[in-house]
Amino acid sequence: MSTKHSKAAERFMNNTEHERWHNETLWQVRAKRDKLAMEIPEWEQLRDLASRIKTHTITNLDRYLTQFAERAEANGAIIHWAKDANDHNEIVYDILRKRDVKKLVKSKSMLTEECKMNEYLMDKGIDVIESDLGERVLQLIHKQPSHIVMPAIHLQKEEIGKIFENELYTEKGNNNPVYLVHAARENLRKEFLSADAAMTGANFGVATSGDIVICTNEGNADMGTSFPKLHIVSMGIEKLIPDYKSLSIFIRLLARSATGQPITTYTSHYRKPRKGNEMHIVLVDNGRSDILKNEDHVQTLKCIRCGACMNTCPVYRRIGGYSYTYFIPGPIGINLGMLESPRKYADNLSACSLCYSCNNICPVKIDLADQIYKWRQSLDSLDEADRAKKLVSYAMKFLFRHPTLYNVVLKIAPIVNKMPRSLIYNSFNDWGKGRELPVFAEESFTRMWKKGKVKKHE
Amino acid sequence: MSNKDEILNNIRKNTKTVYGMPKIVIDAIQYPDIRTKFMESMELVGGKAIELKQDEDINQCIRELYPTVTSIVSNIPGITIANINPDRIVFPNELDGTDLAVVKGEIGVAENGSVWISRVIKEKALYFVSENLIILLDKKDLVHNMHEAYQRVEMTNHDFGVFISGPSKTADIEQTLVIGAHGARDVTVILQI
Repeated sequence: MSTKHSKAAERFMNNTEHERWHNETLWQVRAKRDKLAMEIPEWEQLRDLASRIKTHTITNLDRYLTQFAERAEANGAIIHWAKDANDHNEIVYDILRKRDVKKLVKSKSMLTEECKMNEYLMDKGIDVIESDLGERVLQLIHKQPSHIVMPAIHLQKEEIGKIFENELYTEKGNNNPVYLVHAARENLRKEFLSADAAMTGANFGVATSGDIVICTNEGNADMGTSFPKLHIVSMGIEKLIPDYKSLSIFIRLLARSATGQPITTYTSHYRKPRKGNEMHIVLVDNGRSDILKNEDHVQTLKCIRCGACMNTCPVYRRIGGYSYTYFIPGPIGINLGMLESPRKYADNLSACSLCYSCNNICPVKIDLADQIYKWRQSLDSLDEADRAKKLVSYAMKFLFRHPTLYNVVLKIAPIVNKMPRSLIYNSFNDWGKGRELPVFAEESFTRMWKKGKVKKHE
Repeated sequence: MSNKDEILNNIRKNTKTVYGMPKIVIDAIQYPDIRTKFMESMELVGGKAIELKQDEDINQCIRELYPTVTSIVSNIPGITIANINPDRIVFPNELDGTDLAVVKGEIGVAENGSVWISRVIKEKALYFVSENLIILLDKKDLVHNMHEAYQRVEMTNHDFGVFISGPSKTADIEQTLVIGAHGARDVTVILQI
């Protein structure tokens, strides 16, 4: 029954002190979210509208994409269409190569992670600098984000202090977060000022105006785009929303859901390139248009990448983002991974207790847990069902279909209660790991009923 | 077939049930005292808002707020304390090293302490690169929530606009809040009559 996920989770949980810390830190974020959500009496109304606006947009996507592209082009931006990750990377490289870009400074984008763009560009000799603090820390140690909003949440300040000591030559043993952040500020300021091009993701694309909307707390996206003459935006086609009226709803939901803030420090609208500058927008499909035909899972396209489902997930909080095999962890990542490749990512399906907390917290009401349940039902047809579980299921099916045998087995079952522990709790019994098995009743309900031992309630 | 056509065709082919746009009617929060709520929100996001008293001199007020700054950048008429005009620079990099920028805000939002600014200076870099930021805002431009704010956002003649809510910050190290990530370390909104 050991999936790749459960093995990785076990490694993470071996450090119980760190596991406790990780769990509590993420729970604090969840608690902050609750506090802020409850200050807005119309919160549930906002979630409901956000869900319906997104459902509308993704089921009218051809119209909104066409409208967005027309508006953005009229505003002076250059639109590119990428069918897949490879298209995306080639388009970006082509833009950079033609303008002789040596250094690209970028803000956080899960889409460029999805396309593995950094590796692609760096192979071609382009210096790619991540400017989000957490993302920069991970870049320095060649690691991927373990959370989509708080990428380095799995690291503690001692580890980050050590990384900065080696890479940014900060004071030995100084792990003070204020000191470390300001050291990164100084270091990255030089990169902003000397970059040849800037790249950002997009939180929203507004169809009626052609605006690209980017939300950050650090201001790294804005700082990055302020100096070079070239700005490339990488945007998934599902990031569109109709208009400002819709946008006001999403902006109210996003930061409150993500980090428990009323709004991010910067909510920036990029409408046109600055005079004499260029703005390119790469619209990326990479499997999104295929998800549309899958009605059981189409709702994943509503996702605004706030990460609330991770913060609330009792499994994620205790096992960390690296315990998942897909680059997006948590409930949304389990589902997106399955949509990309069930064969490759089925292991993650076991990282869910079906508690449904994610469904209830998602600002756009994606049916995350229901989808995980549905995927599990299809595991056998994908030939990914666990052998031990499958065997037990067949045995139980046989037993339930043969009442006489069932009654015999039930009668002798209490023997198990008296067996030595080593016979029950061992490596062959996955159901006995980390939990106590229930005690078999000495007498079954049916026998008690037949003997008249079950009294009717007066 | 172009990439664009292939993507759009695939979308059309795969779209199943089509859903209509919901009617957006929101009973959005209103605060009994919009000015007080705005000031509270500013504090919550790590900035501050002050009111310019009647007959108080704005330049005097700025000097008292930031007594030690040397390079002050602004293109607002009447901000005589400014010693650099941002519209006279050639490259945005020249703005690096700015101690204080004084800019004009257009809409203040009570629910989250954000202020809408559309680019009216030569380089938007100033809003982010300056160590400290003062945003001048008319009291009549305060709104309760983001729905009201977006009704008033006007971008037709602008290439860039931004809601700024307090100083630049990060919690990327152990969720410890640190002010001054990449942008301004200190943000003050001065409310004017």
